[in-house]
Amino acid sequence: MNPNLVNIHLVNSNSTHHKEDLPGDFAIWIFIFAEMLAFGVLFVAYAFTRANNVELFNASQLTLSRTSGAINTLVLITSSYFVVQGVAAIKRGLNKQCAHWLTGAFLLGGVFVGIKIVEFHAKFAADITMSTNNFYMFYLSLTFFHFMHVLMGMIILACIIVKARRSAYSAQDYVGVETGASFWHMVDFLWIILFPLVYIIR
Amino acid sequence: MSNDRAQSKLFPTTIWLVLVALTIATFSLGEAGLSGKGVMLTLLAITMIKSQLVANYFMALRKTKFLWRAIMFGYFIIVGGLIAMAYLMGLK
Repeated sequence: MNPNLVNIHLVNSNSTHHKEDLPGDFAIWIFIFAEMLAFGVLFVAYAFTRANNVELFNASQLTLSRTSGAINTLVLITSSYFVVQGVAAIKRGLNKQCAHWLTGAFLLGGVFVGIKIVEFHAKFAADITMSTNNFYMFYLSLTFFHFMHVLMGMIILACIIVKARRSAYSAQDYVGVETGASFWHMVDFLWIILFPLVYIIR
Repeated sequence: MSNDRAQSKLFPTTIWLVLVALTIATFSLGEAGLSGKGVMLTLLAITMIKSQLVANYFMALRKTKFLWRAIMFGYFIIVGGLIAMAYLMGLK
């Protein structure tokens, strides 16, 4: 076979393979799917427990701040948008621009954490704990579990920002950025379901 | 800047604006104190659209194999479907 044809075939098959691959390291997707499964079980458990305690859940839900939940949704959606722009920048080889977008996303993650701490503090100050009732057991466990994922996402973003500031990525090597971005989008994806389920639907 | 580059920058911004609008719609339904089967299904439909926009355009799964998009869509159909079923059980 003509060596040039072999090369063309390899290039084409590589580009096709790359196009169909999940963005970032495949290992993060195993983690993402596992986390989604864990949250999915909790979402469904919440819904079926509510079915047997509708009045209790509706009354307890009224004590939550929908405004805080909605602001946090907008904060996470916007931070995800910043991450998309950061990935687009690194695909053009722009490390500094990528770092700037991801720093914006990181700071918005900090805003989310701050609002959640205020929410948690208000509940604890009112002597509300996980043992108060079934609604608060789910509310506190679901939102705290998610809160820990936001913190983990912020640590990942911080590591990528440091590397991008050192120009460690390039237009050919940006798997690390995509890996962190995928995790951050998962955090956003899960909150998009959690917010209406726990704060709004009644 | 080429048209392609301009469009590729504009598209994520459009998706972001749609997500913001859908979040405001969700919040408004909550603030109005509306409840019932129709409202629940509307909220779940809005949530499904938002989750799929994030999966396909922010996570960039639209460029991947159908299998990955199907997993993300199937996830919402199963989880959202069970939530709807549980809600309907609670109405009785």
